[in-house]
Amino acid sequence: MTIHSCEQAKELMASQWMGELDGQSAAALHLHLESCAECAAEMESLGAIWEKLGDLPAPEPSLALRARWEQTMQSLAPAPAPSSWARSWRATSWWQSFWPSNPAWQMAIAGLCLVVGLGGGLGAGSWLQRGAMEQNLQRDEVAKLREEVTSTKELVALSLMQQQSAAERLRGVDYSTRMPSMEPQIVAELIHTVKADPNVNVRLAAIDALTKVAGSAQVRESMQTALTQQDSPMVQAALIDYLVDARDRNAVGSIRSLVSRTDVNPAVRAHATDAVNQLSQ
Amino acid sequence: MSTVNQNTDHELMVAVARGNLAGMSEIYDRRHKALFRFFFRLIGRQAPAEDLTHEVFLRMIRYRHTYQAGDMFESWMYRIARNVFADHTKKHRLETPAAEGQMELVESGRPSPFESTMKQQDLALLHRALRALPDEKRELIVLSRFQGLTYEQIGRLVGCESGTVKVRVFRAMKEMGQTFHELRSANSTGEKAS
Repeated sequence: MTIHSCEQAKELMASQWMGELDGQSAAALHLHLESCAECAAEMESLGAIWEKLGDLPAPEPSLALRARWEQTMQSLAPAPAPSSWARSWRATSWWQSFWPSNPAWQMAIAGLCLVVGLGGGLGAGSWLQRGAMEQNLQRDEVAKLREEVTSTKELVALSLMQQQSAAERLRGVDYSTRMPSMEPQIVAELIHTVKADPNVNVRLAAIDALTKVAGSAQVRESMQTALTQQDSPMVQAALIDYLVDARDRNAVGSIRSLVSRTDVNPAVRAHATDAVNQLSQ
Repeated sequence: MSTVNQNTDHELMVAVARGNLAGMSEIYDRRHKALFRFFFRLIGRQAPAEDLTHEVFLRMIRYRHTYQAGDMFESWMYRIARNVFADHTKKHRLETPAAEGQMELVESGRPSPFESTMKQQDLALLHRALRALPDEKRELIVLSRFQGLTYEQIGRLVGCESGTVKVRVFRAMKEMGQTFHELRSANSTGEKAS
């Protein structure tokens, strides 16, 4: 082997540092360095720095990282059959996660509870004093208050989804999934999140949350549009899954457009091809 | 008594992709330190390096079904790690003006907490010289020198020939060497003056 240029020698020097050089190439490099003072000086100086890099201490992760991981794995573990104790614990846990950290929301919910309590108390008094007709009136009031509580939950979810912090927005998305039904305003905000949130995790969580309303043609259409706009392979894959799970044959065109795009990750393109096949069957 | 899991990372990941999530714990045990060090060498700060490490494992779980029998686990893992880092950089650039960030790294006279643990002055300066490199050059040195990837693997990861990777690593080393020598001479001038 003969070295024809210093550029070629540089490749071999880099190989030498990594121990990737065979005997023949090492001899050729040696010959070149004997005749080229500039390369010889670089080999000596940079080789020494390469060696010295190995003396840099290895940083260690904190124990908090492992704790966070163990918590994640715990949350993914299948739940055991609930005992009565477990049921009550789960109820407490549910309540803790439901309760917002923002004191303003806490006060609002506490106020609503008070109103519900007063309403209930007044209702009971009326029942004693005014009879069956009054009972119906009270039922209407309680129903109205329930509606208010639901709309307060919606407000909390919407407010969280508009926070600066990605963690808060994630909570907002999570919160929206806990409502018995999803109001149009929440659906619109989740679609907006899928399309425009700067954080991939928040977008992924919003896609999951929208599974509840996958029956809506309008939502599926928005997801198709989002698919063509995404640049994250993770989000693209999740959107493809969403549309396949929803058996949305109208999405074939949008998914197929990814297959031919060279800027799309090869794994996503392969996933898109599978999805097109599944939906075309 | 603990048992040693002799499955390769690839075998474990294939099992995870098929729904056996328990295999992720073994993968985490084997890989989380290397990933943390990868991010730490790129970012230079503990908390974000830990956040990004955690994020890689979350994405591995979420996208386990994209792992295919023909994939090499290490390449797949670093592909995810690079995406996580790219997202972090994009967000960070939006939040912090780049010039300000660079100045803090190169011109600040104070050693970082990590640097202050280094007994040898030269090592602290070398760490600073590495930190002063642009992200893409630093990444090549980190992958080749610290993460133990071959030039062939790095080439597949960054999408170029291994020969091109070698030349780029050489240039990155040269740039880092220059910065290192400049820092060292500035440092010795400062010591003499005081």
